[in-house]
Amino acid sequence: MPDIAFVKPALPRSGALVLPLTEEAPLAGLAKQADEAAGGAIARGLEAAKFKGRKGQTATLWAPGAGLSKVVAIGLGKAADLAATGAEAGGGAIAGPLAQEREAVVAADGLAPALAASLALGVLLKSYRFDRYRTTEKEEDKPKLERVAVATSDATKAKAAFAPMQAVADGVFVTRDLVSEPPNVLTPAECAERCKALTKLGVEVEILGPKEMRKLGFGALLGVAQGSANEPRMVVMKWNGAAKGKKPGKPVAFIGKGVTFDTGGISIKPAGGMEDMKWDMAGAGTVIGLMAALAGRKAKADVVGLVGLVENMPSGTAQRPGDVVTTASGQTVEVINTDAEGRLVLADVIHYCIEKHDPRFMVDLATLTGAIIIALGHEHAGLFSNDDTLAQRIEAAGKAVGEAAWRMPLGEAYDKQIKSDIADMKNVGGRPGGSITAAQFIQRFVQGRPWAHLDIAGTAWSNKDLPTAPKGATAYGVRMLDRLVAEYYEG
Amino acid sequence: MIAVHFRRGAPGAEPPCVVPVAEGAAVPSGLAAAAAAARFTGRADAVLDLTGPPRRLLVGLGTAPTPLAHETAGAAAALAAGEATELSVAAEGVAPEDAASLAAGIALGAWHFDALRTRDVPKRLRRLTVRTGQPEAAEAAFARLAPGVAGCLLARELTVEPANRLTTRAFAERLEGLAEEGIDVEIHGRKWLEQHGFGALLAVGGGSDSPPRLVVLRWRGVLPVPPVALVGKGIVFDTGGVSIKPAAGMEAMRADMAGAAACAGAMLALARRGSPAPAVAVLAIAENATGARSYRPGDVIRTASRRTVEVIDTDAEGRLVLADALHHAITRFRPRAVIDLATLTGSVVTALGHHRAGLFGTEAALMAAAAAAGEAVGERLWPLPIGARHREDLASGIADLRQCAPASSGAFGGRLVPDACHAAAFLREFAGEVPWAHLDIAGVDTAEAPHALGPAGPTGFGARLLDRLVAMRFEQET
Repeated sequence: MPDIAFVKPALPRSGALVLPLTEEAPLAGLAKQADEAAGGAIARGLEAAKFKGRKGQTATLWAPGAGLSKVVAIGLGKAADLAATGAEAGGGAIAGPLAQEREAVVAADGLAPALAASLALGVLLKSYRFDRYRTTEKEEDKPKLERVAVATSDATKAKAAFAPMQAVADGVFVTRDLVSEPPNVLTPAECAERCKALTKLGVEVEILGPKEMRKLGFGALLGVAQGSANEPRMVVMKWNGAAKGKKPGKPVAFIGKGVTFDTGGISIKPAGGMEDMKWDMAGAGTVIGLMAALAGRKAKADVVGLVGLVENMPSGTAQRPGDVVTTASGQTVEVINTDAEGRLVLADVIHYCIEKHDPRFMVDLATLTGAIIIALGHEHAGLFSNDDTLAQRIEAAGKAVGEAAWRMPLGEAYDKQIKSDIADMKNVGGRPGGSITAAQFIQRFVQGRPWAHLDIAGTAWSNKDLPTAPKGATAYGVRMLDRLVAEYYEG
Repeated sequence: MIAVHFRRGAPGAEPPCVVPVAEGAAVPSGLAAAAAAARFTGRADAVLDLTGPPRRLLVGLGTAPTPLAHETAGAAAALAAGEATELSVAAEGVAPEDAASLAAGIALGAWHFDALRTRDVPKRLRRLTVRTGQPEAAEAAFARLAPGVAGCLLARELTVEPANRLTTRAFAERLEGLAEEGIDVEIHGRKWLEQHGFGALLAVGGGSDSPPRLVVLRWRGVLPVPPVALVGKGIVFDTGGVSIKPAAGMEAMRADMAGAAACAGAMLALARRGSPAPAVAVLAIAENATGARSYRPGDVIRTASRRTVEVIDTDAEGRLVLADALHHAITRFRPRAVIDLATLTGSVVTALGHHRAGLFGTEAALMAAAAAAGEAVGERLWPLPIGARHREDLASGIADLRQCAPASSGAFGGRLVPDACHAAAFLREFAGEVPWAHLDIAGVDTAEAPHALGPAGPTGFGARLLDRLVAMRFEQET
């Protein structure tokens, strides 16, 4: 990923220049200087390319003069409508055209410093690449962008606005790396091991293995794990950033489903698309990246993140449909479908979170159901909550950073669908309302506390490029929940 | 519908009597011991059948006895009454409006369909006498509710009919009967549809021996404003066409006209109420059959709006017929708002199950009013999104748009496609600038077991909701 610098507006003598332009706006500032130095070639070139500055429009001019190798114009839409997400998308659109440059200058002197920072964030987020396992890629195909100098009218302000964004971007990359890793590499133990890196940021990291979890009575999580040769883990990450001296308050808690690979178990999945199940730990990956983001920007809040890490495999020791397991809460569950394992893992981790950390509220994230994709598609995660204020805050935080959530219903009628003939509940409620009954299941473990559940099965991974994420792991949720904490739970 | 009377005086020993009890309230003295023994506390929809004689049916109203709670209590009593042919209600202690709601609930709960049974026909409730201190007030309140009940029951009557009886022609003929209620009925057949370019409705209906129909029901009202338009999907049977459905459960597809039936029911309710609001219903009626003239996946059809649509899946036929009906509704009537109802997608059942219908639309206020109307009558909705991506997924390589995303195009090996959202994004293209709401009722049109307001079978979902929506939002001039 490139380094981002904020500099005073000055025309580069060579290399690439990026012009973020609003709709129908004449060239001004640095862009105008460049155009004048190039004898008007930039204005003429943009005219010829019918570039109007419309949202998402791009134009590339090669060697327009003044020593510049390349000018990339990027449309930001109407100036009056330009918000942070629009500037990020503009930045994201630059990443591709600049990939083969080593350095570039962005003429953001026409933008407010905060928007210049957002634009830089967009470049950074979109420049992400997971290439750890490429060994034969040709040098000329590799991205080369090392430094982006953002020219802005107030470099100090822009830099200050960008500092927390850089920390959050680093958190996003932690998540994307974890989610992208193949399942033979990222086992539960390996994922837990990688959490230890967060101690460098000041996060307390505690790892629990099967022995500890057995003592805690994690019958549901261990039931899921028992079919795999890879042992399960639970990782607890604590960030105590609230102002010292005050009486320590209750932490906010984030809980992630981390199924490092989900075959479905004995209720095995169809083969087509099963490789996607490596990212069935995206909820956990998101919580880990979120903790890195919060600690990285020294959020003034007490936050605890918990992830349940297991692998769901079919084997001679695997749990069977029909098994009854006892959760840490003492409630019993009849396992009807071993592929509805995420809720079993969450049940125990959520119970532990309440008992041990007495949180102010909990948000869990899980790639929980295919049904949420059938319900909403890929633009919204499903948001379920027993607390309207919390739900509205999550929706608002998501909207602000371009990670949309859509509220879905809960209710007694749906809860009835998971009644079991033999145990307190069963782990599936049939196809109708499949995401809702999954949420109802989780709700049975929250003891009436403020809680929200994000079903991110449709948003954790993208099969095509998004404005600020290349195809692949999106890290959906990191920025939303970071914003949630920043907006409502700091200071 | 059963006959309902309102009378003064205490109920006698005959007929069996329904006794409503609010949660925690005292049970009438003669019944208190039995109620206590059976642990009956007046919990919502709890029913205690005391065989007597005299037979008494205690029904719980719960702690917040809303009008809807009285309706559901009435329906629960009717379902528990078994083969009683007459009932009374002990409503002396109940407000006249609530007495009326109890009666409406009993009428809804007592609905049945025996026309096709030839032997061992069960006895059914025919007559209800509500015992109240204010019979005139209760009767007047009931007169306001009865039209909605009648509309709901008409919707059920139509939906329950098997497809060999309720052919497209028979459906249209049944709707013609609404002329007696003061509704103008226009029926357009194949020739008219061809002349007017209803390519989508014609394509869907092409495979069947039973020709497609576009039925327009018009209630003129008295307000000098444009009408509110209701648009209904009326597929009298849906085989899926060339993209044929699996055999298991296909018999349920006789109810694939429930949207049109609900619209017809709503129109009946408006007429019976003498609603001041002008309203029009445009019902797209066809049979989606497999035949030598069936339309095919890959076909491009020209809709009534002249826009072209690439067919991907002939089983996504509902949105096609609705496209033509919506276009007709908005161009011919320039309505204040248009609301369509359709048993449109399996996807909405996966999303919301059987307890809520999916609500999509372009105007927040209209959607909020629809949701509120649904809450009031026990037909609950939940909003779902139409995102930019949903529309993008309908881009066609050959036509203006394609009707759905291919089944293989979704996540996880193609299986997971947000088809309800896609369908809504498709329909939006044909709703023009008119405020529009779309109710995907595929999960709620038929109940597998007795439900809050009736027996197993068609629910009539939508008829009372639309009637209430018109009453709440469209009976003023502005």
